[in-house]
Amino acid sequence: MCVGLSARVDKIKNGMAVVDASGVKREISTELIENLYPGDYVMVHAGIAIAKISSTDEDEVNKIMETIKDAK
Amino acid sequence: MLSKDIEKAKSIIMNYDGPPIKIMEVCGTHTHEIFKLGIRNILPNNINLISGPGCPVCVTPTEFIDEAIYLALEKNITICTFGDLIRVPGTSSSLGDARSKGANIQMVYSPLDSVEYAINHPEQQVVFLSVGFETTTPASCIAVRNAKNIELKNFSILGANKTMYQAYLALKDAADAYIYPGHVCTMTGMSELYKLRDEENVSGAVTGFSASEILSSLAYIISETQKNKPFVANLYPRVVTEEGLIKAKTLVENTMESCDSIWRGLGIIEKSGMKLKKEYIDYDARAKYDIPKIVGKPNKGCKCGEVLRGDIKPFECPLFSKGCTPEHPIGACMVSNEGACSAYYKYGENLWKKN
Ligand code: SF4
Repeated sequence: MCVGLSARVDKIKNGMAVVDASGVKREISTELIENLYPGDYVMVHAGIAIAKISSTDEDEVNKIMETIKDAK
Repeated sequence: MLSKDIEKAKSIIMNYDGPPIKIMEVCGTHTHEIFKLGIRNILPNNINLISGPGCPVCVTPTEFIDEAIYLALEKNITICTFGDLIRVPGTSSSLGDARSKGANIQMVYSPLDSVEYAINHPEQQVVFLSVGFETTTPASCIAVRNAKNIELKNFSILGANKTMYQAYLALKDAADAYIYPGHVCTMTGMSELYKLRDEENVSGAVTGFSASEILSSLAYIISETQKNKPFVANLYPRVVTEEGLIKAKTLVENTMESCDSIWRGLGIIEKSGMKLKKEYIDYDARAKYDIPKIVGKPNKGCKCGEVLRGDIKPFECPLFSKGCTPEHPIGACMVSNEGACSAYYKYGENLWKKN
């Protein structure tokens, strides 16, 4: 039950949005997320957006590995 | 380049030859992904990955299922629930068994769907089974608030919502570091993890769910553990922010308050639960239906408690694969996809067949 799905916001209206998760469209609540626009990516869990996704994992992982290198 | 980073992370993990390290992946989705990606197969013997209590279905106590069955069969109430809960064994049966006796059990994807269901079925009384941690609780709060706003009379929730902080504390000696559950941290932010580090010497890293995120996080934890100093890091910053989701925290604070909570296998953990505030009492199924006090009896042979505490691996339970399988689960950890027993059963054959 606990899976988070990343999805692209298609339309937003009154705290609800239609999102596209790998081709599957769904209506979710976005009332917890501020400044959300069509085209943004969100993490969806149990019918609500729980976070805005700010980038891909590539930069993130690169930074983690840099930190480890610095430590040595 | 991503592939270069992955190779580097893998080599740090595979070549680790220091003192034994115990790492607990708190979240059931991590347990599942780690198996699916085959990460356990590359771990050296001195790295022990323990599956923790972060699958809400697995820690939901037997009596909660018994209460839901009571409502469904004795009070003729429609139960709306996440699908995973349907097969979780109660004391003598599951919600699935109740359904075959005529109970109306509806599977929903979101608490908001159960409000929709209640609106569309005014002739039925509807109860949503509200389980879950910080990630899921706001959705239940939105559902209850929406229902109250439109004065919906045929909707309420049976609550078993939990918070992770006290569970991190309760299990802190089970491992050297936690892989913190990324999606719980989207809500809570980092402050409580700093507090755990500074006041309780608890270490860990907030981790995402892709292969590269999990591998780099393991590499990070291995390298930090060797410094013998408590640490915490947000390794999932594309989703988790320092402050967490303020609006979610405010919503939950306005709707629910903390209470003690029973965790299957771990017992009562003080202040580790959330229940509806007085203003919302009409939406609390326990108050609305006067449910009698039920003391649940989990199957005596089931070792879910030891599994959730990391004391034993699932295959060390005598019932594992002998009586308890995903098709016929005896304990909750074998039911949900995120449960440790089910993950070992599905993906860990090489680990348990040799034992
Ligand atoms: S294998 Fe089954 S009976 Fe044993 S601990 Fe896991 S869920 Fe419980």
